[in-house]
Amino acid sequence: MALFKRFESAIDNGIGRRKLGYMLIALVIVFFLWFPNDASQSNYAKTVFISGFFYAIMSSSWALLAGIAGQFSFGHMAFMGIGAYAAGLIARDGVSFALLGISVTPESISAFGSIVVGTVFAGLVGLIIGWLLLRLRAAYLALFTIAFSELFRIMMLTEYDYTGGSNGLSLRPLLEIADVNAARQVEYYLMFALLIVCLLALYWVANSPIGLFLRAMREDEDAASALGVNVVRYKILVFVFTSMIVGFAGAVFYSDVGSERIIPEQLEILQMSLIIAYAVIGGMESLIGAAAGAFISRYLLEAMRQVVITLPFGLTTADGSDAFVWDTGFWRFALFGVVMVFTLRYMRNGLLYPIITWFSGRDIAMKETVSIRESDDEFAARKERDDE
Amino acid sequence: MKRITIVISIAALLALTAMLPLGIVQADGHCEFADDSIKIGGLVPLSAPGAVAGGIAMSWAINRAADDINADCGIEIDGANYAIEVVIGDSEGSPERGQAVVERFILEDEVDAVTGVYHSAVGLATMGMLDENSVPTVFSEPWNDNVSANGIMEYDGRPPRNADGVDHVFRVSPASSMVGGVVVDWLNDLGVDNVVIIAENTDYGQPAAADEKARFEAAGATVTQINVELGTEDFVPILSRIQAAADTPDVVRVLVTGETSFNLTQQMAELGIAPTEDTICVTNQVAFQSEQYWLNVPDGNYCAFNRVGIIPSLFSDLAVELNASYFEEFEDIVPSYAMATYDAVWIIAKGMEQAGSKSDGAAIVAAIEATDLDLSQGRYYFEYGNHNPDLPEGTPAFMWHQWPDPVVTMMQYFEQGQSSLDAAVIFPQVYQTHGTGYIVPGTSP
Repeated sequence: MALFKRFESAIDNGIGRRKLGYMLIALVIVFFLWFPNDASQSNYAKTVFISGFFYAIMSSSWALLAGIAGQFSFGHMAFMGIGAYAAGLIARDGVSFALLGISVTPESISAFGSIVVGTVFAGLVGLIIGWLLLRLRAAYLALFTIAFSELFRIMMLTEYDYTGGSNGLSLRPLLEIADVNAARQVEYYLMFALLIVCLLALYWVANSPIGLFLRAMREDEDAASALGVNVVRYKILVFVFTSMIVGFAGAVFYSDVGSERIIPEQLEILQMSLIIAYAVIGGMESLIGAAAGAFISRYLLEAMRQVVITLPFGLTTADGSDAFVWDTGFWRFALFGVVMVFTLRYMRNGLLYPIITWFSGRDIAMKETVSIRESDDEFAARKERDDE
Repeated sequence: MKRITIVISIAALLALTAMLPLGIVQADGHCEFADDSIKIGGLVPLSAPGAVAGGIAMSWAINRAADDINADCGIEIDGANYAIEVVIGDSEGSPERGQAVVERFILEDEVDAVTGVYHSAVGLATMGMLDENSVPTVFSEPWNDNVSANGIMEYDGRPPRNADGVDHVFRVSPASSMVGGVVVDWLNDLGVDNVVIIAENTDYGQPAAADEKARFEAAGATVTQINVELGTEDFVPILSRIQAAADTPDVVRVLVTGETSFNLTQQMAELGIAPTEDTICVTNQVAFQSEQYWLNVPDGNYCAFNRVGIIPSLFSDLAVELNASYFEEFEDIVPSYAMATYDAVWIIAKGMEQAGSKSDGAAIVAAIEATDLDLSQGRYYFEYGNHNPDLPEGTPAFMWHQWPDPVVTMMQYFEQGQSSLDAAVIFPQVYQTHGTGYIVPGTSP
């Protein structure tokens, strides 16, 4: 502890925590850029990372919606699905608006074009849902979004003639690279770039005046409104913005970048609760915390599929081996649940919050601004002194 | 004399006891295995949203098959005996996870072959990868017609076979199209005129209902279709509509899966709609799991159901042994997909042995195409493949690398609490166990 205090003081008197934090972020980025070039890493490891990047986008955007704007929505996976399904369907069947004189045929639209259409469609639905949610708060908002999410999932499941039902919908591949290794390399960088761009966009919103309005709405919607915050506008804005981000991420991910097809089961409430859990573990009010929480959780859940346990004291198994493989199967999620319970009970701001706070220097500000209350003992001692 | 007998008996018993471990050691040690092993990847759902119970059964079957093969000294290739090593991967029932697991199988675990797959979506998403990486694969449960060479063609626009003339995916489970006709053929044989179909609103229930409706109508029957949502608990309003109809239906056909089908069948029986003397009850195939069926549908005696997979009366010694072993582990009757998965491992193993290689994908595929094996579900062979590439006119493309003989039958309970092992097989006639095509409620065959 003393060593840490000396380190802390050296940093505070030296380059400062914030700069050190930026350096750490730069190092992490350099690591992710270098990772696929490490010849010892297989495509499987890159696949796990690609999935981690995708879920990091999902969790960080949900953190903006729920953690910063206070809109506790369960519809995030549905918006992701809307983006992916819309992109897949337009690339396969095209679309025609006779009244507007617009006709898009499958031949006339590229994979990227279909992704853009999927993103816009997700934004449009986000606009409608955001508008419908205007008068709903807390539990009612959550229930509404659960209902919407289930409605969409059931639609995708039952309209199997168009959506493929539980067999899923195959999206048009975004990349046409014959060499599997080169393709995986490009997919990795594409998903990583998408994560960086999404995080920058989310931070831009969170640190802009809009972010302040969103936080004000989260704390007290009526008070924010009374102070001149256009609650209607910003509520809808945050829904549209996050819907478009996840719609875009979903359309890209399922265009054979992370997976070649999307299935309705991917939109189940269980999957949504995983996104929430990642954000809670990383830190709901921190975009980078939620992203890191999602990436680390995904990585650990994958790494824990099979755990090799080496026996101590020269012990061996029945077949003479000094180690055995524990196929964690169902237990890894149970373990994940334990971490979640621990986080909610003891570290409500997320497991990464103390680290993020330390690097941002926010803990110093807190020490300076938060009044320190006397404990009962201190009060009794002071009273005794005063009486004397 | 008596004392001598006792002493000799005790001595013999002690000698036997002393030899027992020796015998076990010899049984285990009588095979000399090569340092290297043959790795078979089992792609099964072991966590939600996948069908976990199915995944556990399939995982059990793969391990059981590997144990049996290893007990038989593994696979002999060029004079060396290779043990089978099983690597199980959890697909979670998701194409994304399935793809990641297959990638891990290929790149990290370096499996020599793959089997399993419960959900068609996972099969559709992974078969292209398996084919591209020349991994001999035998799927054991996905039903979608496109989970086959036909699907590979549709998957990415390539011709059904690779440039080397080989595609690596086989299937021993039936294609959906192979299952559909049996129920209708049976009911048409019985001469039903007025049919009510209750179908779940999913891609299982709706196409099946459309297919059966068309077949019934082609035979001149009147069909009323009622759609229900999966997860519905109370079917009384729907069933009341059937009761209120002017004509009593000849048959109520349930095209609803899982627990929901149990609820529906029980409520139907409670209301006296079916099974009755006038109305035949045809419930979902999950009724074969008799322990669960009678627990949930205590009034469901005389209901009929279709069964995919070998019927109990035709169980071979191997199937009986497999069933006993499964029952010991799970206290239930072995499901057909566990038997198919068990057989798939044997097909791969024997293919490798025939090919004389554990890594030459093309040679192993050629050997699997030439399979002629009697296993737990019957005789396995593949009619169409590179060895017989010309599918006759009218033969669907999914028959390429498809086992053509999965048994699909109609069965019927006729005693309360009866095990499905004892239930009557009523259709097709060739498999009938009680000499009748239908047991009227209240009677015995």
